[in-house]
Amino acid sequence: MIARLWRSLAGWGINVAIALTALRVNLMRSILTTLGVMIGVFSVILAVAIGAGAQVSVTESIGALGANMAIVVPEPDSDGPRRTTDRGRLTERDIKAIAKQVPGITATAPQLRTRVQLVAAGRNATTEVIGATPDYAIVSNVNTDEGRFIEQSDVNASSRVAVIGQTVATRLFGTYDPVGETVRINRVPFRIVGLLESKGSSFGNDNDDLVIVPLGTLRQRLLDTPAQGPDDIHIAFVGFDDEPSLIAGQKETKKILRERYRVAKGKINPFTVRTTTEIAEVTGEATQIFQALLVAIASISLLVGGIGIMNIMLVSVTERTREIGLRMALGAKRADIRNQFLVEAAVLCVIGGGVGLALAKVAALAFVAYADFPAPIGFGVAVGAILFSAVIGLAFGGWPAIRASRLSPIEALRSE
Amino acid sequence: MIPLLETDALVKDYMIGGEILHAVNGVSLAIQRGEFVAIMGASGSGKSTFMNMIGCLDTPTSGTLRLDGIDTNSLSSDELAEIRNRKIGFVFQQFNLLPRTSALDNVAVPLIYAGAGRAERQQRARAKLEAMGLGDRLENSPAKLSGGQQQRVAIARALVTEPLMLLADEPTGALDTQTSNDIMGIFQGLNAEGITVVLVTHEPDIADYAERRILFRDGKVIEDEPVRNRRSPAS
Repeated sequence: MIARLWRSLAGWGINVAIALTALRVNLMRSILTTLGVMIGVFSVILAVAIGAGAQVSVTESIGALGANMAIVVPEPDSDGPRRTTDRGRLTERDIKAIAKQVPGITATAPQLRTRVQLVAAGRNATTEVIGATPDYAIVSNVNTDEGRFIEQSDVNASSRVAVIGQTVATRLFGTYDPVGETVRINRVPFRIVGLLESKGSSFGNDNDDLVIVPLGTLRQRLLDTPAQGPDDIHIAFVGFDDEPSLIAGQKETKKILRERYRVAKGKINPFTVRTTTEIAEVTGEATQIFQALLVAIASISLLVGGIGIMNIMLVSVTERTREIGLRMALGAKRADIRNQFLVEAAVLCVIGGGVGLALAKVAALAFVAYADFPAPIGFGVAVGAILFSAVIGLAFGGWPAIRASRLSPIEALRSE
Repeated sequence: MIPLLETDALVKDYMIGGEILHAVNGVSLAIQRGEFVAIMGASGSGKSTFMNMIGCLDTPTSGTLRLDGIDTNSLSSDELAEIRNRKIGFVFQQFNLLPRTSALDNVAVPLIYAGAGRAERQQRARAKLEAMGLGDRLENSPAKLSGGQQQRVAIARALVTEPLMLLADEPTGALDTQTSNDIMGIFQGLNAEGITVVLVTHEPDIADYAERRILFRDGKVIEDEPVRNRRSPAS
């Protein structure tokens, strides 16, 4: 039993030796043929890696947003038909009511947002300013690198203080420490009290390109078009203890808002309450589709590479018909001839796959180094790629190999 | 003792342009163990077709062929491959060596299909090459060997599985007279050691090295008689 197994393994080893010899004899042709598989495997692996990288960055982006958070926006529920007359409102009082009535809430962060012009030290920049309360730091998981965040006293006094993001700081002050400096926001002077910790970028958005000021200060001094009411807000983040309380809290929040705005039964909500879990699911699905699409496109090049293998194997079989006849005369069985050509195709593909894998690894490292985009190539993907290359070889080399094995020994010997 | 080879009403037909050509048309003969037979005939006489059939490279249209007591009609293509491997050694006119492959590896090819291990293959191939006087040419590729040396490599390859019968198809067709005589001397020597040799040729001079001559014409045996003035390489 073991002897037989050993003999069949040794038989394959001989086929590998025969295949390597044949490939070496036609070195240039072998390299060109391998190129097709190499490019195919390279693009498939890179597509998988980029897809996986997109997943990672989506997960990180959701994390940057803040986990277990609901986002309340005064706009018609996107689940229903949009009608401009249903344009919603949202006030600080609404948020206070929600904080009081919904269980499991850690903190709430009502906000106003607007785009502004910044001038400091003779340089200027355009950015988004967020009017926020101290709890914003808790809900959004924001820390300061230097100085401090907005405090309740700032909000109460509507102080002209600002906390700025890393990108804004670099643009206005370069490497110079901005804390304590003055920045003019839409010509109004603000004192910079803190520098935010970097949160990187997500979905191509720079998370550090922002300025945070006290909510009331923004309302009074920076809003171009005044809000509808004295305590209207643009958006509110509501932080929850954990996922179950978030899911329950989303329903509860909707119910409370419907009551407060007296939304009749059957009418759509003039607001939306979305959770980070939902956002993660939707974007996760989108990236999966994106990944599948990438892999599908890359697979076409692998298919073309496979057809190249089949083409060259057919040429090889035709060219070596006489050799096949000779081998048959010397005692080769059909399976021996078939295996010889199968192994030749598989060796071509595995070499191509190996080089393609190595190149994909280099490209992935370049992605990380130059585009700051993760493109992980797992061990499983690497092994899978090599195995898949061998399968390509067997699949596309199969027909030529079987054709070779079906030749009549005497006709093959006579061919010239 | 049963003959090594026995044919009974052996027929091989080909369809050419819608007409049936009887390449071999009812040949019944026997070849005993240890014989040295020359099969002769003009081209188209059916001698090559006959040789392909007794070499198990081709199958008859009708009639029976018994090799070492086995009726080959009932054998599968794999079983025929095994017979070619174990019982028959082929020597071709154009040598048919694998290019860019050493003499040693060329001779070892049949042993691959016999399932021999690497060490055994090397050792047996080396022994046969040494017996052919090529002990110092083991690593040479065919391109670095003369025609006579190439044919001796081919004979070593034919002998490496210790077959019962050597089938040589115009083995001197690509060689000069002196080298032809040397090669025929080798066949005589091998025959003297007991191996059956079947030689296909159209040259009477070469056929005279054999001890029995079978003449083909139009697919039939028209003469089958002992060679009277048998040649040896010295003469």
